Amino acid sequence: MRERTQQLILLISMALACTAQGAHVESVQTSQTEIMKDSVVCLVISAYRYNVAEPWKHRSLSDQWACAVAVGPYQVITTAQSLANHSFVKALRHGQAEFVSATPKVLDYASGLSLLELDPNELREPLKPLRFAKTYAQGEAVTFHWLSPSNGLNSGQAYLDRARVQGVRTSFGRRLRYVIANASRKMGIGELYRLGSTPIGIGCWAGDNREADLIPSETIARFLEAITADDTYQGFGEIGFASSELRDPAMRSFLQMPGAMRGGVYVANVYKLGTGADSLLKGDVILDIDGHTIDSYGRYTDPIYGPLSMQHLITRKGAGQEIPFGLWRKGKHVKISATATSIKSSEMLVPFQEYDRQPEYIIMGGFIFQKLTREYLLEFGKNLAGQAPSHLYHYYRDLAFKPTDERPSIMVLSHVLPTPMNLGYTGLAELVVDTFNGQAVASVADIVKASQLRPNAAQHVVEFEMDAPTLVIPRKNLAQIDAFVSQNYGIEKLSNSHE
Amino acid sequence: MSIRKWVIGVTVILAATWHVRTADAAAGLASPEKSVVLIRSVKQSFNRRTPWKTRAMQQTSGSGVIIPGNLILTNAHNVSDCRYLELRKENLAQRYAARVLFVGHDCDLAVLTVDDPSFFTDTIAMELAGLPKVNSTVSTYGFPIGGRRISVTEGVVSRIEMDTYAHIASGGHLAIQTDAAINPGNSGGPAIQNGQIVGIAFQGLQEAENIGYLIPTTVVRHFLDDIADGNYDGFGSMGVFLFSGLHNPSLRDYLAVPAHEDGVVVTGTMMHSSLESVLQVNDVLTQIDDYNVDNDGTVRMHGLRLNISAAVDARQIGDTMQLIFYRQGKRMSASATIASHRPVLERARQYDKAPRYVCFAGLVFVAATRDFLMTWGPKWPEKIPFYLRYLYAHSNQLNTDRERKEYVVLSAVMPDEVNTYAREFTQLVVETVNGKKIRCLEDIHGEFTRSTEGYLEIRFMGHDRPLLINANMAHRRQASILQRYNIPAGTRLEEGS
Repeated sequence: MRERTQQLILLISMALACTAQGAHVESVQTSQTEIMKDSVVCLVISAYRYNVAEPWKHRSLSDQWACAVAVGPYQVITTAQSLANHSFVKALRHGQAEFVSATPKVLDYASGLSLLELDPNELREPLKPLRFAKTYAQGEAVTFHWLSPSNGLNSGQAYLDRARVQGVRTSFGRRLRYVIANASRKMGIGELYRLGSTPIGIGCWAGDNREADLIPSETIARFLEAITADDTYQGFGEIGFASSELRDPAMRSFLQMPGAMRGGVYVANVYKLGTGADSLLKGDVILDIDGHTIDSYGRYTDPIYGPLSMQHLITRKGAGQEIPFGLWRKGKHVKISATATSIKSSEMLVPFQEYDRQPEYIIMGGFIFQKLTREYLLEFGKNLAGQAPSHLYHYYRDLAFKPTDERPSIMVLSHVLPTPMNLGYTGLAELVVDTFNGQAVASVADIVKASQLRPNAAQHVVEFEMDAPTLVIPRKNLAQIDAFVSQNYGIEKLSNSHE
Repeated sequence: MSIRKWVIGVTVILAATWHVRTADAAAGLASPEKSVVLIRSVKQSFNRRTPWKTRAMQQTSGSGVIIPGNLILTNAHNVSDCRYLELRKENLAQRYAARVLFVGHDCDLAVLTVDDPSFFTDTIAMELAGLPKVNSTVSTYGFPIGGRRISVTEGVVSRIEMDTYAHIASGGHLAIQTDAAINPGNSGGPAIQNGQIVGIAFQGLQEAENIGYLIPTTVVRHFLDDIADGNYDGFGSMGVFLFSGLHNPSLRDYLAVPAHEDGVVVTGTMMHSSLESVLQVNDVLTQIDDYNVDNDGTVRMHGLRLNISAAVDARQIGDTMQLIFYRQGKRMSASATIASHRPVLERARQYDKAPRYVCFAGLVFVAATRDFLMTWGPKWPEKIPFYLRYLYAHSNQLNTDRERKEYVVLSAVMPDEVNTYAREFTQLVVETVNGKKIRCLEDIHGEFTRSTEGYLEIRFMGHDRPLLINANMAHRRQASILQRYNIPAGTRLEEGS
């Protein structure tokens, strides 16, 4: 069927050369577009994210729109990025003037996908669901479709340039993406892409040079399959180790690898979270994963996509699936099996993101304690390595995937709201909390618990890292001071805990 | 808005226009041409990544003032990295070759002399006065841009306080702020009050009009006293970190500080300082010599409220200071020896000395210093690799190795077959070689020299993967690598000039 469609397109293209080109393109696109009118909707998303610098506040309300694609009569998918920090979502269906309520059901920031349900009572007619099939044809023309907020159904043309493993904007991970190039017009988020008549993915990034990334059908199909199979969606496997190229003959020889042995990558670090965290060792050489030979750059040859990062062999697996690894360990071949393990952002020592919820904080006597997150660090600028305080960024760069039972997360004194109580301390900022009343703390709940220790002491005592001064907070009148802070600075809620 | 201080050096090719103002004879000099001289120098510094190379030559001019003993007092930045130096007096065509006798980069002062005795004929050596009063008038003399003759400007002393000296961009000393116009070329020229020197012009403030700075005579005297023994040792410190937050009554209660005492809280001490094993965290320093320390970390000196470091600046390296402090309410005393406590990652700019290095197997290693980090350009604090930024900011806290002298960085790779895969390791800080800790350039040179077979396993801080170098091949390739890249020697472990 696909071949016949492609042939038809080819014949039409050939005919264009000797006929009135514009009229034919118009007629072809119109007919293709018409087909999509019951399968593509427009989402208008109101986002109301928190101000991480003053976590009791929201930032300005913002509206954006994105395309979504029907996967059920009342269900659509779009990118998770579009829904980050959403406060309200409404959908527009082609041919229906009124907006329809849309409720996010699954938000997977790791894969970059989300599923929404449209209100069946508000939708005049059910949508026509599309089925995403694993289809890939490098260099082939693709069409893309979207519904604009003015209810205009649009299409464009482009080419499927290549497949690659690319960073996910809403997660720390890297995943398979199709790269679309040479588009006839600017592309957007959530748009539907088809190869012939087959849906092959939805847009997740669009550049100014008419290049875009797609979340491919393979990922979408697995996402939908996982949701359907089990209500408790577990997500996909994530990498639980850091690897590096192994091209240097000196390094290979140092690792006692025989001269005839080709390929393999060096396991430079093993995390506490993710796939392989409990089975790989630092210094291992990964020779194959899931039956695919790994070259010294960390790539394998995918039968469909060609050369691809080995990360795809892990991130394509649903959490819980077993993945066989072939290793070179201490001069010997070793076979192990690692369970594909997803990583929740909240499990990280420094969470990558905390979308859709208020940051954790507590204000005591004007001292603001917050949980360290990547979004907190981003307040200093996008260049984290160059702009965020280095003693804070160090935890994200080097230890983000290495939380321990003793220290699952980091609390910082972010800054101080001046009060009569904290005279002399008002210049303190960006200090990592070591102990609170002698107790190690890793969350707001920990601080609350620690503040109940030493009930007879006159003060709470907070110690920090890096030669910072001891913080002394008097217990007496603390409630009055907190009331002052609340009233003077207009803060209704003096703490927010995730526990 | 960022406010930056600049040193007042200027290239000699600047266009000349005349803007000479008449000096107030009561405040200034009747014959400034007898005391104020023009200093021209040719400078050449070193490339900090491939340190056997020098950077482009630069010609600068500044000013100086004749002081007793046939000496010329000027700024260090007028003569830093100097290859040739000459002086000129106004109204005299002859130029005189000069030489630097002493230079104190930390206080931006230098003393020069001229071997030709005729230079000092018909000159008047100026004397040093004390600190001028705030709001009193001073006249500054020098050879700034815009003309060829001595320029005089007049202004008032706006304030006197501790400030950063931009020449080394680290640490601070007492400085006089004035609104007298101080422009590039004024550097090293005297500020005069009642016929005596009250300061030496040395820096200005960008993004501001008529804010200039003078080095006060307290700092000049410290410098002159220091060099009296024939060596310059510099300014020192007590090597203690202090927190000036004892305004807080709860903190006072917690630390049991008597109600009648003010002071500052100890938050840490520098490794190897005389106070390292004496003071403890949360001790409260209330008195230093005869100076009572206020809660904001100031002492009363020269009729002014100055940062506690002003009291330390009044002492020479090797001197001791008597401290009174409280530990959990108990009054205690101790002596602090003033010393040059330098962080293992040097934060001050350095001059006049050729950087040390080790080049082996085409791998170039240097000590991590501010000058090295500044090779990333004007926005270097944001551009440098993260781990260097981390160490630069916190080396005092992060370094727990008492034997560490410096951090060693792989600054460059001179390509050769022995180091084909080494480029990704550039700008990383060396942690170990073959398991041995690298605490200075001498350590890494020693390991390279010792290892002739097998592999050199070089591990780096904050980086998970080692660099492997075939030791035997590295020794065999060494001579040809040095020859190919015109590297005069495999090491320079003594600071040259």
